[in-house]
Amino acid sequence: MKKYDIKTTDKETLKKWFHLMTLGRAIDEKAPAYLLQSLGWSYHAPYAGHDGIQLAVGQVFEKGQDFMFPYYRDMLTVLSAGLTIEEILLNGLSKATDISSGGRHMSNHFAKVNWHIENVSSAVASHDTHAVGVARAMVYYKHKGVAITLHGESSTSEGYVYEAINGASNEKLPVIFVIQDNGYGISVPKKDQTANRKVADNFVGMKNLRIIHCNGKDVFDSMNAMTEAREYAIETSNPVIVQANCVRIGSHSNSDKHTLYRDEDELSYVKAADPLLKFRRMLLRYKRFSEKELKEIEAEAKKELSVANRKAISAPDPDPKTIHNFVIPEPYKPKVYVDGTHNKDGEKINMVTAINETLKAEFRKNPDTFLFGQDVANRDKGGVFNVSKGMQQEFGENRVYNAPIAEDYIVGTANGMSRFDPKIRVVIEGAEFADYFWPAMNQYVECTHDYWRSNGQFSPNITLRLASGGYIGGGLYHSQNIEGALTTLPGARIVYPSFADDAAGLLRTSLRSEGLTVFMEPKALYNAVEASTVVPDDFEVPFGKARIRRSGADLTLVTYGNTTHLSLQAAEQLAKEGIGSVEVIDLRSLLPLDKGTIFESIKKTSKVLIVHEDKVFSGFGAEVAATIADEMFRYLDAPIQRVGSTFTPVGFNPILERAILPNAALIYEAAKKQIQY
Amino acid sequence: MKKTGLFYGVNTKKTALIGKEIQEAFGENKADIVAVEEAGKKSFEQYDNLIIGASTWFDGELPTYWDELLPELENLKMKGKKVAIFGLGDQEGYPENFVDGIGLLAEFFEASGAEIVGHTSIEGYTFEGSRALRDGKFLGLAIDQENQSDLTGSRIAAWVKQLKKEFN
Ligand SMILES: Cc1cc2nc3c(=O)[nH]c(=O)nc-3n(C[C@H](O)[C@H](O)[C@H](O)COP(=O)(O)O)c2cc1C
Ligand SMILES: Cc1ncc(C[n+]2csc(CCOP(=O)(O)OP(=O)(O)O)c2C)c(N)n1
Repeated sequence: MKKYDIKTTDKETLKKWFHLMTLGRAIDEKAPAYLLQSLGWSYHAPYAGHDGIQLAVGQVFEKGQDFMFPYYRDMLTVLSAGLTIEEILLNGLSKATDISSGGRHMSNHFAKVNWHIENVSSAVASHDTHAVGVARAMVYYKHKGVAITLHGESSTSEGYVYEAINGASNEKLPVIFVIQDNGYGISVPKKDQTANRKVADNFVGMKNLRIIHCNGKDVFDSMNAMTEAREYAIETSNPVIVQANCVRIGSHSNSDKHTLYRDEDELSYVKAADPLLKFRRMLLRYKRFSEKELKEIEAEAKKELSVANRKAISAPDPDPKTIHNFVIPEPYKPKVYVDGTHNKDGEKINMVTAINETLKAEFRKNPDTFLFGQDVANRDKGGVFNVSKGMQQEFGENRVYNAPIAEDYIVGTANGMSRFDPKIRVVIEGAEFADYFWPAMNQYVECTHDYWRSNGQFSPNITLRLASGGYIGGGLYHSQNIEGALTTLPGARIVYPSFADDAAGLLRTSLRSEGLTVFMEPKALYNAVEASTVVPDDFEVPFGKARIRRSGADLTLVTYGNTTHLSLQAAEQLAKEGIGSVEVIDLRSLLPLDKGTIFESIKKTSKVLIVHEDKVFSGFGAEVAATIADEMFRYLDAPIQRVGSTFTPVGFNPILERAILPNAALIYEAAKKQIQY
Repeated sequence: MKKTGLFYGVNTKKTALIGKEIQEAFGENKADIVAVEEAGKKSFEQYDNLIIGASTWFDGELPTYWDELLPELENLKMKGKKVAIFGLGDQEGYPENFVDGIGLLAEFFEASGAEIVGHTSIEGYTFEGSRALRDGKFLGLAIDQENQSDLTGSRIAAWVKQLKKEFN
């Protein structure tokens, strides 16, 4: 027996639905007028034709239990879930009081973060992996609820949608993927996306996954489908796809002109399929409402919209002075080792051990920590480099586990888990090697945007570990340094330690901080004697604090990672030969950059050499050099010089690798020239 | 004398044309035309033999005039009555849901006790899936005006001949 139908659903419920649908449509139809009057809403994707499914998703959503990830067309969905008209208008008009983002994110991107109607990206469907991540946390914390993620059928072509559905199927997670099928991705008909007319059919082979088809233009069919989906997902802890058959009555958005690719006949039959008019006709036909009653509801909706409209247009605009707010949350501030140095004596440990022991110590201290990545959790092995060895045994399979080979999924689900509760800290091995992180770039960008885009309402609390760099004879795909590409994106901290103690200290600080920290591990140094140090228990290193590893008076050498050791060797030789004394600064943090330490040193030496393993061209050193040129030019007695690798990939044959990566001799020569300049 | 009712959407484009052709094939005054847009429960119950028609829309859906009517027909009592269904569809454009509407109506009227007659062979059609299929046959007459309009006349003639036998 279906739960909802035109004959038995109670009148109050029908009234609520008709009211919401009428109201939603009134806003949808008014939106373009704001643009015409230059008041805002410059991006608007009308939802007309999706009314049944959107009403249903909002109605089935349980505030306090569920998480929802609406897409840019989901206006009725969020209205139905409880957003007020004014809240919708404030987002449409990009006002300071817009609860989604304070005017930072595009219009038609509705959210109410404290209800867990999440603020999502415009990159289609990238929130699918977030929904999977939050569902994973729900299951872990025994929370009863579902994650509902929504998008169109064309977006389902994205590889990460497959990753998300595969993951939810494999992990048995209560996620409802709602696919609103209107037949188009902008002007592209769905036949150009996938072979099956109904894209949900592409997933029929996936285990534990239920697929429900419904008529998204029909209120009752949609309500029944969503009710069934939610019950199934919660009762069985399994994912569901609801494919809702919709029509797009309007253009894709205000920047699209659908008359260029749809003929009159089509425009007229999609209009004739208007779900709101169908619902209205049925209410009358089955004598649930009189024409007069419906007219009253319609008039009421108009009035409500006009009241909200007056309030919204007079709301304040965002203040340009606030643009630097909420780029990244304030980090944890070390209390004992305030500048991240120590003078402890004792037994030295190598970098792998230091990272491993710090992870374990923090995991013991904080039960809301999780670690996953590829190959991180085997019985006798912990990651390719044994960094996480013994962790699964100690903390169990629910906190330490292997991930599928899907880097975007790893980062996306870590982001999603963070949404469940701000106390959660997720450590991920973003990829087996930094070289394989590229598939996750979309999710990386999401992580860097979240805090700013949500106006400080949500930050992914993730430590993203990446085994980086070369000098291991690994060739093009086991040697890359990717920090040059990442440091240009605001919203992350990026650290690259070169000694065991700094690795331990930065990792601890990262695990205690909110926000995203990229933790780059120079894998050539994992077991290296020169990187081994004494590591005090509880050692902490603050972000943005460089460490002078050797002091000197004649040249400032700024470096990090593998080249710290090569630089120290070169400095030692220069000192021995009496050529000059080099101050070697290990940056430790690239983002934020410790300009103070660099500048103080330059004031003393008047010369600077920047050394890193990555390519000189467009490597991170370019930014350091430009910063010094901008702010310290008057202190310089020599041009800024840089040493790094050649502008080529890293070759596999050791002869090639040696010709490409910088070495101590090269640094020695460059430093000597600088000193003698 | 048993009464035959011919039910279809009179405001439709293609379905109405086919409906008229079927009526003609039956012969004058042999079947009453009933507009589905205006039909109610009683309209159905007053006939012994019913021919009902529907095209398929939007990847396997009934046209909305049927969709809006069906809840009204929920407790229809059709025991002892015979129902024959014709459906329009496009086997090239929608090969996964070819004439699904026939199947949807057949399921509905079977549930109300009617016997579905007028099954036809799938020979001559090319498609991938259809809700109208049962035991390798269509549960009614499939008409494809988009791709096989030249066959429509003969298909109707053969079907009406078959119905005249099955409607006794
Ligand atoms: C948007 C659209 C969707 C359609 N979906 C189907 C379908 O799923 N299966 C099918 O067999 N025919 C489908 N058709 C084809 C129609 O059933 C066919 O054109 C029919 O002749 C229309 O008749 P009518 O205009 O009387 O309703 C579709 C046609 C359109 C325009
Ligand atoms: C990753 C990404 N690629 C491309 C776009 C540009 N884009 C915006 S909407 C859209 C079409 C999406 O179509 P569909 O998923 O069917 O949803 P609909 O808009 O039809 O509701 C595209 C290609 C985007 N926003 N994100």
